Amino acid sequence: MTLFQDTGGDPRATAARLADVLAWYGAVGDAACGNPSGFALRKAAVGAALAQSVSPDEQEHPAIAFAGLLHAIGAIGNAAYTKNANPLSERLARIEAWDVPAQGARICATMGMLPAATADVVRWQAECWDGTGFPDQLRWNGIPRSAQCLLLADVYLRAEDPDDALATVYLRSGRSFGPDAARAFTAWFHLNGGNAPAPALPIDALTAAPGDDLTLLDTIADRVDAHNGVPGRWRRIHALADATATIAGIDAAQRAALGLAVRLYGAGELFCAEVEDAQFDPLARMGIDERAKNAGAAAGLLAENATLGHAAEILRARAAWYDGTGKPAGMKHDAIPAGSRILAAAIAFDTLREGRPSLRSGRGAPMQRVDTAAGTQFDPAVVRALATAAKAHA
Amino acid sequence: MIELPERTRRVSPSRLLELLQRYDCHSLVDPFMGLPTHLNYLKRHGISVHGGDLLEWFVRVGEGIVVNDQTILRDSEVAEIVEMLPGRIYSVDMFKAWEGVFFTEEQCVYLGVWHDNVRNLRSDGQTGLAILGLWRAFCYWLQKTQNPDDMQDIQPSELAWSYIRETECVVGTNLRRNTVRRGDVLATLAAQRADALFLAPPARNSFRSADARIWMWEAWWQGNPYFTIEHAYRDSLLGARASEIPAYSRALSNILSQADDYRTIIVQTTQNRLGDFESLVRNARPHVEIVAPHPYEIYLIATK
Repeated sequence: MTLFQDTGGDPRATAARLADVLAWYGAVGDAACGNPSGFALRKAAVGAALAQSVSPDEQEHPAIAFAGLLHAIGAIGNAAYTKNANPLSERLARIEAWDVPAQGARICATMGMLPAATADVVRWQAECWDGTGFPDQLRWNGIPRSAQCLLLADVYLRAEDPDDALATVYLRSGRSFGPDAARAFTAWFHLNGGNAPAPALPIDALTAAPGDDLTLLDTIADRVDAHNGVPGRWRRIHALADATATIAGIDAAQRAALGLAVRLYGAGELFCAEVEDAQFDPLARMGIDERAKNAGAAAGLLAENATLGHAAEILRARAAWYDGTGKPAGMKHDAIPAGSRILAAAIAFDTLREGRPSLRSGRGAPMQRVDTAAGTQFDPAVVRALATAAKAHA
Repeated sequence: MIELPERTRRVSPSRLLELLQRYDCHSLVDPFMGLPTHLNYLKRHGISVHGGDLLEWFVRVGEGIVVNDQTILRDSEVAEIVEMLPGRIYSVDMFKAWEGVFFTEEQCVYLGVWHDNVRNLRSDGQTGLAILGLWRAFCYWLQKTQNPDDMQDIQPSELAWSYIRETECVVGTNLRRNTVRRGDVLATLAAQRADALFLAPPARNSFRSADARIWMWEAWWQGNPYFTIEHAYRDSLLGARASEIPAYSRALSNILSQADDYRTIIVQTTQNRLGDFESLVRNARPHVEIVAPHPYEIYLIATK
C-alpha cells in the first residue's frame, strides 16, 4: 500500500513532499522540548534571512534554513525530555539537554537529502562566542558564522517583542555572539523593520529520491515511540489497523490516510508529561479528556502541511466514542471517520496487550475487554474486524 | 591595540566522541590539550581522559573541570574571589605594566586582586574553576578593546561573578580516573596508557601566532606581565626543537613512534596542513582513515 500519491517523476514535487515531512519532523522536535507551535518553521525563515547579512558563504544559506527547521530534533529521545518514571534533577536535565544539538547533528548526518552543512549548523547552533555554549564549548572564530545565525534567530524568536530582541542581542554581544554577528543582526533588524520573514523552505536544495519521505516518516515514528517509552508501538498498531481496515473493506485512500495517522498519532503525546497508557485505562471514561487533548495536539502539528494534513481529521477524531459521548462532542456513528474508529480500537487493544503490567493483568483477555466496549466506545463492526485481524496476527 | 586572530582552532568533542565510539575507544590521551573543555565533554560522556600541556593555567583549569569530580564554587566563595577582601593586602600594582596598553587602571587593579584571591584558594578544583571563569572575563575585556561600541560595559566583579558561577555546570564525574599534567608531549605519552591518542599538533613556530588571550593569561597566572611563551613553545612544545621544517617532521615522527602502544591515533589537522601529516602518519601505521567533515577539521585515524 502506498501512503502518498505518485508524483509522476517530478523531482520538485518529490522535494516539496519531503520538505513537508521535514517540516513535520521539526514540529515534532519542538513538541518534544516544549517550544511553541510553528517555532521551527519560523526559526528556519529568520535564520535564512539573517544568513544574507551574517554568513558570507552563500552555499550555506539553504543549510541554515534546514538546520533551523530541524534544530530541536535531537530532543526526541534526549534523556532530559523523555518520559521517565524517575525524572532527572534540574541540574542533570540541563546537562543532558546540552546534547540536543549534537544528537540532532548525528541524525541530520544520516539524512542524505539535506544540504551537506546542515548537520554542523545544527551541532553548533547553541555555541556561544565566549566558550560558554554547548555542546562543544567552541569559542570565538571557531564557531561558524552560519551557526551564529541560528542562535540569533533563536533569540529573536524568543523575545517578547522585536525591540526586546535588539536589546538582548546587544547585551549578549561578545558573550553569546561575536560582535560582528551582533552588528550584522542590528543592520538586518533596521533594514527589515524588525519583522519576521514569511516561512519558506529552499526545497531546491534537497536531493530527494522517491521513497525518502516514507522512510523518513517511519524513522520519526520509531523515534517518537522510543521517546514516549513505548518502542515499536506504531509498527504493531499499523499491522493490526491495516489488517482490520482490509477486513472492514475500507477503500485505499482511507487506508492510506489511516497508515499516515498511525505513524503520526504518537507525536500528540509529546506534549503531555507521561505517555497516555501510563495514566489511565484506555477503556475508561476518565481518560477521555487527556486522549482528546493528545489527539488534538497530534492533529495540530499537521496544520498547513499539504502532504500530511489529510490525516489530521482521523487523528482529531480518534478520541470520539461511537455512541457520541466522547470528544470532540457530538461526533458519533458514521460521522466519525472510519480511520479514526479503527485507530481508536487498535490503540486500545495494543495498550491492553502490550501496555504497563497493571493494564495487562486481570479483568480478562484484551480482545474480550475491547469487545465489552463495542457499541459504546468502539464501532461494533470495527471490533469484529479487529478480533479477526488479531486472531490472524496471534 | 591588540591583535586577536581571525581564526580559532576548532576541536569538536562531540565529533571526537563519535570517532571514539566508532573505534570502540574508552580512554584518551591528549598531550596538546590546550583549554581542556573538550576533555570535560568526553569525561561527561564516560571516556577516561588524560591531558597534558606546557602552560600551567591550562593544567590548572584541567584540575577544575577534568580531574575534579564534585567541588564547585558557591556564591559566597565566588564573592571572595571577585572582590577585594577587607583586611588583606593586595599587590594591586602587579599588572600596572598593562595599564593604558591593554587595560584601564581599574581593570589592572582587579587583575592583581583576582590573582591574589585565586592563589589563596586551597582547593585545586576551585582554583581551576576560578581561573576558567576569570579568563572568560579577561577575554571579554580584550574583545571589548577591539569593539568598544558593540559590547556592553559590565562591572568587573559582576562579569567575573557570572562567568565563575557558570563553571558549576561543567563539574561532574564519570566514575573513572581522569588526569592532567604539566609537561611536554613525550612526558605525557610516557606517563599514560589509553585506547586512543588524540593529537592536534601546533604548527611549526606557532608561538609567533599564539593567541594573546592564551599567553597573557599564563602571564597573569605567573604574576608576571612580561612573561612570554616564546621560549617554552620554541624549544619544547614537541619534545624537541622544531623550528625548521625537517626538525618539525622529525619531531612529529618521533611522537608517532613513541605512541606505538596506543591502539588508535587520531590526528586532527586542516586541509592546508594535511600534506604535512598524512605521509608521517601513514609511515607510522598501516591503516589510516581520513574523515574530513570540514576543510578546517580533518581527522587522520591510524590503527594497527
